[in-house]
Amino acid sequence: MHKFAYYAPQTVKEAARILSKNGPNSKLLAGGTDLLVQIKEHVKGPAPDYVVSVKNIRELHDVKFSARAGLTIGAGATISETLATKGVQEHFPAIADGTAIIGSLQIQNIATIGGNLCNAAPSADSAPPLIAYGATALIAGPRATRTVALEDFFTGPGKTVLKPGELLVSIHVPTPPARSGCQYVRHTPRAQMDIAMVGVASFITLDRKGRVADARIVLGAVAPTPIRARQAEDSLRGQEPTADALRAAGDIAAREESPIGDVRGSAGYRRYMTSVLVQRTAQAALKQAMR
Amino acid sequence: MAREKLLGPLGESHARVDAPDKVTGATRYPGDIALPGQLWMKTLYAHRAHARIKRLDVARAEQTEGVVKVFTARDVPINEFGLIAFDAPVLAGDVVRWIGEKVALVVAETEQQARQALDLIEVEYEDLPALTDPREAMKVGAPVIHPHYANNVLKHVPIRKGDVERGFAESDVIVEGAYYTPMQEHAYLQPEAGLAYLDEEGRVTVQVAGQWTHEDQHQIAHALGLPDERVRVIYPAIGGAFGGREDMSVQIILALAVWRLDQMGIHRPVKTIWSREESILGHHKRHQMWIRAKWGAKRDGRLLAAEVEVIADAGPYAYTSTKVLGNAAVTCTGPYFWPHARVDAYAVVTNNIPAGAFRGFGAPQGHFAAEQQMNKLAKRLGMDPVELRLKNVLREGALTTTQTPLPGGVVALPQVVQVCARAAGWKATSTERHVADENLPQGSTSTRQPLATGYGFACAFKNIGFSFGFPEGASAAIELHGGTRVERAVLKIAGAEVGQGGHTVFMQMAAEALGLPLAQIELVASDTATSGDFGSASASRSTFFAGNAIRGTAAAALQKWRDEERPAIAIYRYQPPATENFDAATGRARPNIAYGYVAQVVEVEVDTETGQIRLKRVWCADDVGKAINPQLIEGQIEGGVVQALGYAITENFVTRDGHVLTPYFSNYLIPGVLDVPERIESLILEFPDSEGPWGARGMAEMPFIPLAPAITAAVHDATGVWFDELPLTPWKVWERLHERSYTPHS
Repeated sequence: MHKFAYYAPQTVKEAARILSKNGPNSKLLAGGTDLLVQIKEHVKGPAPDYVVSVKNIRELHDVKFSARAGLTIGAGATISETLATKGVQEHFPAIADGTAIIGSLQIQNIATIGGNLCNAAPSADSAPPLIAYGATALIAGPRATRTVALEDFFTGPGKTVLKPGELLVSIHVPTPPARSGCQYVRHTPRAQMDIAMVGVASFITLDRKGRVADARIVLGAVAPTPIRARQAEDSLRGQEPTADALRAAGDIAAREESPIGDVRGSAGYRRYMTSVLVQRTAQAALKQAMR
Repeated sequence: MAREKLLGPLGESHARVDAPDKVTGATRYPGDIALPGQLWMKTLYAHRAHARIKRLDVARAEQTEGVVKVFTARDVPINEFGLIAFDAPVLAGDVVRWIGEKVALVVAETEQQARQALDLIEVEYEDLPALTDPREAMKVGAPVIHPHYANNVLKHVPIRKGDVERGFAESDVIVEGAYYTPMQEHAYLQPEAGLAYLDEEGRVTVQVAGQWTHEDQHQIAHALGLPDERVRVIYPAIGGAFGGREDMSVQIILALAVWRLDQMGIHRPVKTIWSREESILGHHKRHQMWIRAKWGAKRDGRLLAAEVEVIADAGPYAYTSTKVLGNAAVTCTGPYFWPHARVDAYAVVTNNIPAGAFRGFGAPQGHFAAEQQMNKLAKRLGMDPVELRLKNVLREGALTTTQTPLPGGVVALPQVVQVCARAAGWKATSTERHVADENLPQGSTSTRQPLATGYGFACAFKNIGFSFGFPEGASAAIELHGGTRVERAVLKIAGAEVGQGGHTVFMQMAAEALGLPLAQIELVASDTATSGDFGSASASRSTFFAGNAIRGTAAAALQKWRDEERPAIAIYRYQPPATENFDAATGRARPNIAYGYVAQVVEVEVDTETGQIRLKRVWCADDVGKAINPQLIEGQIEGGVVQALGYAITENFVTRDGHVLTPYFSNYLIPGVLDVPERIESLILEFPDSEGPWGARGMAEMPFIPLAPAITAAVHDATGVWFDELPLTPWKVWERLHERSYTPHS
C-alpha cells in the first residue's frame, strides 16, 4: 500500500491548517470506506502523501436535533450514529431512506454522511434527500467559515466547492414545515450493496386546501451531480396533487436530466425509471404530508 | 433446525467438522499460508483477445530492485496443459488467444516489487482478428484459431433417434424457440492463491485450492517434464469452487517458478495471490450457449419429435468443453421420452474467455431451452405444465435420446414432479393472471406498486460422476489402530472439501461403515503424498464415490483386523460400471452411471414499471437417494437456488471484443442477502440408487438446474411475456415489457 503521513488533529482549525499546508496532495479521512479503497486500488488519481483524520475532532462528531433549530449532522458522524439520534427518523424519514442503504450495516457503522457528500459520487444516496430537505453545508477554511446550500455543493463527479485547505464541518437541515413529506428511492438491479442507477427524492408541502405549496424534486445518478428537477417542481406548485399531475411531473423530470447509458441500462431506461420514481416518491411524500 | 448429535447413524445432521475453525477464523486458506524466505510472484497477462507476440523483452524488469527472475515461455519444458487436450500454453510464446493468456511471471522479494516490475516488461504485439461469436467462428471461411480444430469446431455431438421428419408430420402442435444462456462467473469467496516449495523429499510441492489433487499433480508434472511422483499437491482450506477450480490457474506457474529457481540455486518458496479482478479475468466461465429447438407433440400432450441445435462458446482452448457439450446434448431435450430426436451440438473455439466447468456442467443451459419449450407447449395445448410433465417424463426402462434406459434403481422423475407440485399447492396457484393497469394493487405504502405475481414450474435430471467412457473411480485408505478393540480409525482420502461439507459426510460414512463413533474417525485429506486418486470434487460425485470407496476400504480393513493385523491397513479403489462415449454417427450411448432428479416451483413478483423481478418463494424437490446429512443437503439446495437466481436475474457478464466489461463485484452483481427468497422449501426424497452407497445419489448441482426456466415460466405467468435470454436484468425485462426505448413525451 502507498505510504503516507498520518495526522489526527484535535480542532477544525488545525485540520484546515494541515490541509492547506500540504495542498492537493493531502486528503481528509473520515470513515475511510471510500478513501482507503481508492488508495489501495489506485483509483481516482494518485494516492495522497498526507492523510488527515477527523477522528479526534470532537465537534465534527455531534448530531443535534431540536424542532426549533433543526438537525445538525457533524461531518464526522457515522451514518449509524446519525440514524440513532432522536428525532431523525421521525422528522427526516428520507434521510433514513438515503443512508440506511449505503453499503452494508458494517459500512454504516464506520462511514459518515460527510464523507458520502465530499466523495461527491453522482450516485451518492445521502445527497438527494438532504438537498430535498433544503440542507446547507458549513465549510471551514484556515481563516474563515462559510455556508453554502447543499444543492450548490457539488460541481462534478468527485468534485465539490471545497477549496484546498477547506473542510466540511457540518450539514444543517431545517425541520420541515407542517403538512410536509419526503421520500427517497433508488433503483438498483440488486436489492442492496449496489450503486444507484437512478435515485429520486421528492419533498412536498401542502397548503391548507391540499394543494402543493412547495415541491423539491432531486435526482441522483442521472447527471454529473445531484440535480433539482425545477421544471417538474414548478409544474406541481399550486396544483392539486392528482395522479395525472404527478405523472406529468415525472415525465418533465425525466427530460431535465442527462443520464449515461452503460452495461446496466440505457439512458432511455434511466429516464423512464426517473419518471416512475418521481411518481412513487411524490405519492409517498403526499401520504406523509396528509398525515 | 437439525438436531445436534455427535454420534449416530447416517441420516443425522452432524455439525460440519470444519465449522469451528472456519467460524473462529483459525482455518488457513492458501493465501494465509506463509513460509520463511518466501518470494512473491505476479503474472503478466496479455489483455489482448488475439495477437502475435513480435517481441518480448524482460531485461529491464529483471534488473529492477528486488526482482529475482522473470520467467517466459522459454522456461516451460513442455509448454502445454489441459484437462481434455493439452492444447493451452502455460505461458504464451508466439500467439495469445484470449485476454487472460499468461505471458510472463515475475518473481521478486515483495509483492509490490513484483507488481511494479510487470510494467517494465516490454511486449510488442501484432493484433490478429478476434473471433468472439461462435456462430460466426464456425462458418466456412472464418479465420481459424487452431489449425487442428477445423472451422473452429472443437467437438460436434450428433444424436439421432427415430425419424424426426415423421415425428413432426404426425404432430398436432409444433413449438419452436431460440434461446441464449450467458457466461457466468463462479464468484467464489477466495480468489486463486498458492504457495510452492520443495518438500523434505525434494518433491515440487504446491499448496493451492483446487478440486482434484491428482489431476493438478499430473498437469504440473506434464508441463515440467517430471514423473507424477516428483510433484505433490496439497489442498488446505478451499474457499468455494463450483467447477471454477477444476482447470489450472496458479498450480503450474507456481510449480514452474519454484522448480526453475531451485535449478538456479535459489531454494526459496514462491507465493502468489490473485486479486478479485485477476480471478474474474483469469479463470474460465460457464459456457454461453445459443440453442434452437423445434418440438412436436400430439394434442393429448404426448411428445413426438425434437430437433435441437446447440452452439457452445468454448473460448480458445478445450478445457472441459467437450464433456460440457455432451451434457448439454443429453439434457437439451429435457428429462422426457422421445420417439424421435435429432440433436446437433457444437463446441466452438473463439477468442473469448475459456469456458469450462460450472455447477450443472451444461445441464442448466440444456434445460433452459428444454423447460421453456415444455412450458410453451403446455400453454399452447392449454394443459397444466405439471400434467404435461407427468405424461412425458422418463420412467424406468424408457429409452433416452441416446437409446438406452436411465441406470440404477428408481427413476424418480414422476415422484419429484408430484411431490413438488403438491407441496407448492400447484393446482391452486397455476391459474393465468395478467394484471390490468386499473386494478393494480395498492401496497401498504402509499406508493403505486404495479406488482404482478406469477408461478412457474420446471424439472431436470443430471448425471452423477464422469460420463462418456471416462475411466471413473475413487481410492481411499483406512488404518485401524488399537489392541483388542479399534481405538481409532484413520481415513485417508484425497476428496476436496470445497465448502459443500464433503469431509463431514466422508467421516459419517466411515463411521457407519466401520461401526465406530464419529469421534474415533480421523481424516487425512487432500494430499497426493498420502492418498490415491479420488477424482474431482465435481459432477455431484463426491458422496457417491467416497461412500463406495469407503465401504470397500472399510470392509477390507475390518477383514485385516479380524486377521489380527495391527494396525490393520487397507487400500481400496472403487470402480463403477463402465460408461460409453457417444456413437459418432447416432450418439447411441450409455453415457452415465447414475442420475439425480429435481423439480421446482417458484413464485415471483414482477414490478412491471421497473422490470425488477423478485424471487419470493421456491419449492425444491430433490431425490438424493439417501440423505447422509440432511442439513448439508438443505445447504446445497439453498445455495444452489441462490446461485441460480444470480444466473437467471442479477449476474450479467458483459464482454466486448473478448474484453470483460464487468470484472468487479461492483458491476458483476451476485445476489445479496436481501435478494434471497423469503422461503426455500427443501423437499428431500429418498428413492435409493442401486449403485450409490446406502442408496445415495449425488445432488449438489440439481437445485441449480431448473431454477432459471422456472423463473421465466413464472414471469410469463405474471406478465404474459416469454423471456428466452438470460439474465433477466431489470433493464432487459423493462425493454421487453414496454417493447420500445423510452423517450419522455412532451
